[in-house]
Amino acid sequence: MFDSLSLLIGQGESGNAVLITFLIYIIAVFVIAGLSNKLLQGRNFLSEYFLGSRGLGVWAFALTLAATSSSGGSFMGFPAKIYSHGWVLALWIGSYMVVPICVMGLLGKRINQVARTSGAITIPDVLRDRFNNATFGLISVALIIFFMTFNLVAQFKAGAEILRTLLGPIEAFNSVVESLPSWFSNFSNESTDYVFCLVVFGIAVIVYTTYGGFHAVVWTDVMQGVVMLVGVVVMLPLAINQASNAIDPGDSTKTGMALVTEEMGKMLPPRYLTLVIESTEALEADISIAQGTWLSSQGFPLYGDATRIFRTTTRCPLEKRSGLAVVEAIEIVSENDRQRSWRALETQNAAETETAADLGKLKVRRVLNKASLHIPEGYPVAIEDISLKPGLLLPFEGKDGKQRIAMLYSILTPKEKRTSGAPLDVFLFQILYTEGRILETELAGYAEQIQEAPYLEDLKLVDIDEGFYAYGASEDQRGAYLTAPGPDETEANGFLPLSLAISFFFMWAISGTGQPSNMVRLMAFKDTLTLRRSIFTVAIYYTLIYMPLVVIFCCARVLLPGMEAEADRIMPQMAVTLTSNIGMGWLAGLLIAAPFAAVMSTVDSFLLMTSSAFVRDIYQRNLNPNAAEDKIKKLSYFFTLVVGLAALMGAMFDPPEFLQDIIVYTGSGLAAAFLAPVVFALYWPRSNHQGCIAAMLGGFGTHLAMYCIGFLNGDGFTPYRLFGTDPIILGLAASFIVGYVVTKSTPPPVDTIVKKYFYKKMEE
Amino acid sequence: MMDTDSEQNAVDFAESWDAYELDPTFVNSRREAIVIFISWFVAMCWAVPYCYFNGYNIADPADIPTTFGIPSWVVWGIGAPWIAADLFTTWFCFRFMQDDDLGVAGDEEPLEHNTGGAE
Repeated sequence: MFDSLSLLIGQGESGNAVLITFLIYIIAVFVIAGLSNKLLQGRNFLSEYFLGSRGLGVWAFALTLAATSSSGGSFMGFPAKIYSHGWVLALWIGSYMVVPICVMGLLGKRINQVARTSGAITIPDVLRDRFNNATFGLISVALIIFFMTFNLVAQFKAGAEILRTLLGPIEAFNSVVESLPSWFSNFSNESTDYVFCLVVFGIAVIVYTTYGGFHAVVWTDVMQGVVMLVGVVVMLPLAINQASNAIDPGDSTKTGMALVTEEMGKMLPPRYLTLVIESTEALEADISIAQGTWLSSQGFPLYGDATRIFRTTTRCPLEKRSGLAVVEAIEIVSENDRQRSWRALETQNAAETETAADLGKLKVRRVLNKASLHIPEGYPVAIEDISLKPGLLLPFEGKDGKQRIAMLYSILTPKEKRTSGAPLDVFLFQILYTEGRILETELAGYAEQIQEAPYLEDLKLVDIDEGFYAYGASEDQRGAYLTAPGPDETEANGFLPLSLAISFFFMWAISGTGQPSNMVRLMAFKDTLTLRRSIFTVAIYYTLIYMPLVVIFCCARVLLPGMEAEADRIMPQMAVTLTSNIGMGWLAGLLIAAPFAAVMSTVDSFLLMTSSAFVRDIYQRNLNPNAAEDKIKKLSYFFTLVVGLAALMGAMFDPPEFLQDIIVYTGSGLAAAFLAPVVFALYWPRSNHQGCIAAMLGGFGTHLAMYCIGFLNGDGFTPYRLFGTDPIILGLAASFIVGYVVTKSTPPPVDTIVKKYFYKKMEE
Repeated sequence: MMDTDSEQNAVDFAESWDAYELDPTFVNSRREAIVIFISWFVAMCWAVPYCYFNGYNIADPADIPTTFGIPSWVVWGIGAPWIAADLFTTWFCFRFMQDDDLGVAGDEEPLEHNTGGAE
């Protein structure tokens, strides 16, 4: 496997050092699992396995909550977003300033008390016992399983991707991957190295979670939390120092971070294009062009410009026979970025590897734009008879209002799917906005074409994608990386319009409070002193993690141009770059362990929560209340194993494309469904099961409806945003209102329940 | 264990409301939750409007003022309230929040018993 990372990290000593550091980390995780398993002896199995016997102290409680919240999204998706949209991510993550006090303080003391009063071990347990209603318990179990299924698969993919980035440059790893039998890659459409990493990651997490239970999860979380913090603290000064040194200050008097920010102010986002690449010499074998490969026209003018530079966004094969390939790429637009990108390309092609030698032969021959070609219904010529050859001239109205001419390169829609009335997907030669005599010649050529074949006049080009960002790409928006709403590829209002900024204040603080995975942890702390100290600890922890992350990955924009091509890999890439630049490649093992730890700590918690839903909430509470402890124990191991393997299979056969989107969907969906019922259950004596079930279903349904409307509108996984706000706001509002109205219109709960959970007998 | 609890509860719950008072843990939790909710609201009212007026719709984005090398709207709109939030959290945790009795769950008793035995 070739990876641009291998150009930054040596194949020798540092690679092995990374591997050793990482292996030590994994061994430590298994040792913790072994010790945790010993704690299971002589205690109530279910309470210990799923809740740590309600005895967590400050460090365990604080760091398990912090590490579980900092999922793969925080250490992969968040850095990718900072890199792609700039300083506005500080506002996006801003509500983390109150997340610890909200997530732990709003419900913590009360849910812990209610769980002890009822003997509950899981959240469905709490709801079921608080209202003495089995149906409520089952509904909440169903929702937890629904959301966790999505989230676990996404987190498994994130784990595999991180491991792949870590191990990719190491020779021993590549040898193992190449020596795998051919049937191994038949498991998935993904590359063999991805499948291998997925299996290694999956088995590691499943084994230690299954064997060690809640305490293994908590103590590995503690270790992972420390690793994450150390990773960020080490990276911060390195990033500022190296990024400022990488900039040619010119006339600027600024230094350090101020220089980095000034440099970001000159940047324009890249342009998304399709390239036709050709090998300038005969190839000895077929080659695979990896995602993230730098390409250029090798200094020859391409549409009049000899310094254009590109980076591939997808992996693509180039056959020896044809010597040609079509690949998706970004073009680096900013002049300052271009200079650094040329250096990266030279480094890539100068590496002493066979792949680098092949890449040195590749040249960009054409740049293509995507568009749709509309053939009207009742077209006078049968569609298969229309001559749509390369070079066909097609008119369109330019942004300046003038008639312009584009030239067809090829049609993407297969012949059998072409029908009149439906648009055809086409590639155009790159659109150039010509003027004067050249434009006149183009228009004359088009008039001649119509004279020869008049029916071509009815063909209309629509939806021309010139590849520019919808916000931030124009010259008057230069500097968008420093301001809000931040550049965005698809949204004309930018990345974070005001309505979304408000939504994200709800999203992290309020939605975090509504996560069942956090609520379970709130049931596990020992006493209120532990809670008070833990809130303080997590507040300091998040302060040390999140704002530094924004600074580090703003620096990454300078150090690593063109990473939009593989933005999800910016964190490990940055770790490797920073450490190899100071000759301490082994440190990358520790730094990359940070995001890996983040994903592990999230996966293990979700895994345990899902298996507890099956064992405790479905089997023990509904099917066999008198089950022997030995049977419960075996079932707990079995379901943890099965749920883990199922998620692993999901990530293998159909890995989700949008990791961060899925994490946002499941996080906000769970909050919309669970927050209102739990708040009512804990703080409103008048609440009853009818009202709380209605609140749960109302929140879930409203939130899901926003995503369904978005899907039906053709926006894929992007939800419909009423008044521009995230579905979490509407979902929460619906949940609280429906819950309140239904509760008020149904009978109050019986006195025995109210007394049990809200009153205390007066002392004589 | 559960049966015994239920019987005990059944006897207690049959008594009149006069013998009961609101659980102080519930009362304190509710008071603290209200203060926390207000703190979240205040944080939002500081951060979002400040960032909106100073970080959005900038005429010349490339020439934006900086503080400590960071765009000033980020420092005063997010960084400063973040520090204020940390100070508030410290006060809340060590001065305002009460220590309350959380009770003992049925599943904790064997653990207590074991610990007692070891001692």
